[in-house]
Amino acid sequence: MTRMAETFAALPDRLLALLDSLLDRFPRRMGDIPAAVLLTAPALLVLGAFSFTPMVNALTLSLRGGKHGDGAFIGLGNYLDALRSGEFWQSLTVTIYYVLGTIPAMLAFSFLIALVLHRISRARGFFRTLYFLPYVTSVVAAAMVWRSLFNPRGGVFNLLMAWVGVAPQQWLLEPRGMLHLLTGGAVNASIGPSMALCCVMLFDIWHGCGFMIVVFLAGLSSIPREVEESARIDGAGGLRTLWHITLPLLSPTIFFLGVVGVVRAFQAFNSFYALTQGGGNTQDTRNLILYIYSQFYDYGYWGYATAASTMLTLAIVALTALQWRFVGRRVHYS
Amino acid sequence: MTRFRLWMMLAALSAACCLAGCGGSPKSGPTQGPSFRPLDTTSAVFWDRQITEIGALLHRLADEFNAAHPGLPIKVEYAGDYPDVFRKVSASIQAGVLPAMTVSYENMTAEYIPTGAALDLDLLIKDPKTGLTQAELDDYFPAALQPNRYADFGGKMYSFPLSKSILMLYYNRRVLAKAGLTAPPATWDEFLDQCRKIKAATGKPAHAISVDCSTFDAMVFSRGGDVIRGHETLFDSPQALAVLDFYATLTREGLAYRITPGTYQDNEALGKDEIAFTFRTSASRTDIMLLMQNDKTRWGMARIPQLDPAHPATVLYGPNVTIFNTTEEQKAAAWAFVKWFTSPEITARWAVGTGYLPVRKSALDSPEMKKLFDEWECNRAAFDCLDFARGEPNITGWQQVRDLVVRTLSEVLAGTREPAEAGRLLKQGADEVLARAGRG
Repeated sequence: MTRMAETFAALPDRLLALLDSLLDRFPRRMGDIPAAVLLTAPALLVLGAFSFTPMVNALTLSLRGGKHGDGAFIGLGNYLDALRSGEFWQSLTVTIYYVLGTIPAMLAFSFLIALVLHRISRARGFFRTLYFLPYVTSVVAAAMVWRSLFNPRGGVFNLLMAWVGVAPQQWLLEPRGMLHLLTGGAVNASIGPSMALCCVMLFDIWHGCGFMIVVFLAGLSSIPREVEESARIDGAGGLRTLWHITLPLLSPTIFFLGVVGVVRAFQAFNSFYALTQGGGNTQDTRNLILYIYSQFYDYGYWGYATAASTMLTLAIVALTALQWRFVGRRVHYS
Repeated sequence: MTRFRLWMMLAALSAACCLAGCGGSPKSGPTQGPSFRPLDTTSAVFWDRQITEIGALLHRLADEFNAAHPGLPIKVEYAGDYPDVFRKVSASIQAGVLPAMTVSYENMTAEYIPTGAALDLDLLIKDPKTGLTQAELDDYFPAALQPNRYADFGGKMYSFPLSKSILMLYYNRRVLAKAGLTAPPATWDEFLDQCRKIKAATGKPAHAISVDCSTFDAMVFSRGGDVIRGHETLFDSPQALAVLDFYATLTREGLAYRITPGTYQDNEALGKDEIAFTFRTSASRTDIMLLMQNDKTRWGMARIPQLDPAHPATVLYGPNVTIFNTTEEQKAAAWAFVKWFTSPEITARWAVGTGYLPVRKSALDSPEMKKLFDEWECNRAAFDCLDFARGEPNITGWQQVRDLVVRTLSEVLAGTREPAEAGRLLKQGADEVLARAGRG
C-alpha cells in the first residue's frame, strides 16, 4: 500500500522527466514550438471534439437546404433567406431591445448595491448572500414563480396594482409596446419593447444582478483605500471621489461585466423559454435564440437555423470586437 | 524524422476533426431506408404524453398487455407534451436512435416520414398472420383511420389511430343559471348572446380562451368552411374571418379573457364557477369531473356551437401512434400492442376511463360503453359528434402553420391586429410556409 502511494506521489515528477526527454529530442532551432504543441494538445483535443467539430459541422450544415440537414448544397442560400425574412429581423430587434434594456440597468443596479454593501460594516455577509441568492436559483424554477406573480388573474403584481388603484395588466400576455401603454396610445403599439418583453427583462435583471454584485464587490475591494483617502484629504467630496477615483479604477471590472453581459444577453434562452412557454404566442417575446430554436427543433430547418446561428455568432464577435476597440481604450488598468 | 512525424500527427488530427465535422446525418433519405437503432433492446419503448389518472391507466394497460403477450415488453415513457415529444423525436432521428413507437399528430408524422423514420404500416396491416382482416379494418371509424393516410407520401398509412377526441363545449350550469339560462348555446350567435347576458348578470367574463389552432379549425368547420384546399390555405375565407371577428368581439366587449399558454386556467375557472364556458377536448371530461367534485348537476358538455345546427361539423383530433423503422422485433412488439390497444374491448375501456373516443364502431355496443352512456346524458355528447367530425390537414409544414394561427389569434385577442388584416396576413404567411416546406 505504501509502495503504491509512493509510486503515485512520484508520478508527476516522472511525467515531467518524460516530457523533458521528449522535448530534448527536438532540434534546438525549433525553439518553444514542440513544447507549446505538446502542452496545448490536451486542451486542443477537448476543444476540437466539443467545440471546433460542432462549429465546422454547423457551418457545413448551414450550406444545405431542405429539412433535417439532408437537402442539397445551396451555398449561401440560407443566409440570404434569413436576411430576407421579416421574422429574423423582428427577432433580432427583440434581442437588441433585450440587450439594451437589461445590461445597462443590471450594471447600474449592481454597482449601486455593491457600493452600499462595500460601505456597510454590519451584516455584510448576510446581504451579500441575500443578493446572490437569485443567481444560484434555477432559472426555470424562479421563472415558474414569476409566471404566477405575473398571472393577469389573481397574480401578485395585479393585486399590488389594484392596491395602488391601477388597472390590472396583462403582463406576459401583453404584446403591445410599453411606450404605447405609457402614453395612452399616442405611440404606435409596435414601437419599442412590449410589456411582455419588459417583464422578461425585469426577471433577468433580478436574476442576474447577484453575479455582477459579487464581481463589483471584488473590484471595489481591490481599490487601494489610500487613493480614495488622499482624494478626500485633497477636498474631493463623495460624488467627485466616486466619479474620478472609484469609477476609473473600477473600469476593468465594468468593461469585463459589460462584455460578458452583452454576450450572455445575446444568448438568453432559459428565461424567455420558461416565462413565455417557448417564446410566447406572439413575436414580441421571441428573441433570436428562440427563433433559431423553433426553426431547428420545431420545423426541422436545420440548415437555415444553423445559418442564422452563424450570423448571430458573427454579430456577437463583431460587437465584442467593437467593445474592445472603443470601450477598451477607456479602461484604466492601474 | 521525429519533427516530420509530429507535424503529420497534427495534420491527421486536424483532418479527422474536419472530416468528423463534415459527416452527414445517420438517417436515411428515402421513406423506407435503413433501420434506426432501438432506444432499448430489452423492451419496446413507447413515448407518450399522458399524466394523471389517464397516464396511470395507460401504464396499467401496458402491464396487462405485457403479462399476456410473449416477446418484447412495452415500456411506456413520458416524453413531455406534444411539442416536447416532437422535438425529442426530431433530435433522436438525427442521433439515429429511436423508441419503438410514439404518440403523434398527423402534422408531426408528416415531418418524420421524409427522414425514413416512420414505418409504412400498410406492410403490417396486410400481413396475413399478424395484420388486420378487412372486417376488422371496416370496424374502425373512417374519420379516425383516414387522416393517417398521407396524400403527400403516396397515400400510405404512416400512423395509426390510438384514441380519438373531439372539441367540446364545457359549460357551468350554476353560472348559466345566474343569467337565467338553462341550456348551452347551439349557434355562435347564441353563444355571444349568452356571454353578454352572463357578463351583465355577473359582471365577469363568461369564457376563458385557450388559444389553439385546432379550436380555430373546429370553429371554421362549424361555420361550413375549411382551412385548406390542396396546398393553399383558406384563412381569408368568410368563415375564417368570421372566427377572427368572433374573437375580436369577445375581447372588445370583455366577454372573455385569454389564459396563460400551456396552462389549464380555463378548466380551473370553470370548476370554481368563475366562468360559464370553455372549449376543450372530450378527453378533458375526467379532469373536469374531478374539478367539479363529481357533481354532475354543476356542469355539462355539448357539441360546439354551429352556424347551422342542421349541418354540424367539428374537428376530430386525438393522438395516433407512429411506429419507427427500427428492428423487426421492435416493430412486431409495437404493432402487437397497437392492435391490442385498438381492439374493441380495450378501446372501450380506454374511452370509459379517459374521455377519449373509441376508434372501433363495435366498441360502442360494449357493456362498458352502454353503462357509460346510461350514467349521464353528457357522456354521449362526444360520441354523437363522430358522424360529422373530421381531421385536420396532415401535410408537411402544417406544424409551422399551427404556430402562425396561434400567433394571429393572440394578436387579434390583444387588439393589435384587425380581423380582416390578420386573416390576410395569416393566409400569406401560411402559404409561404407551405411553399417552403414543399420545396423540401
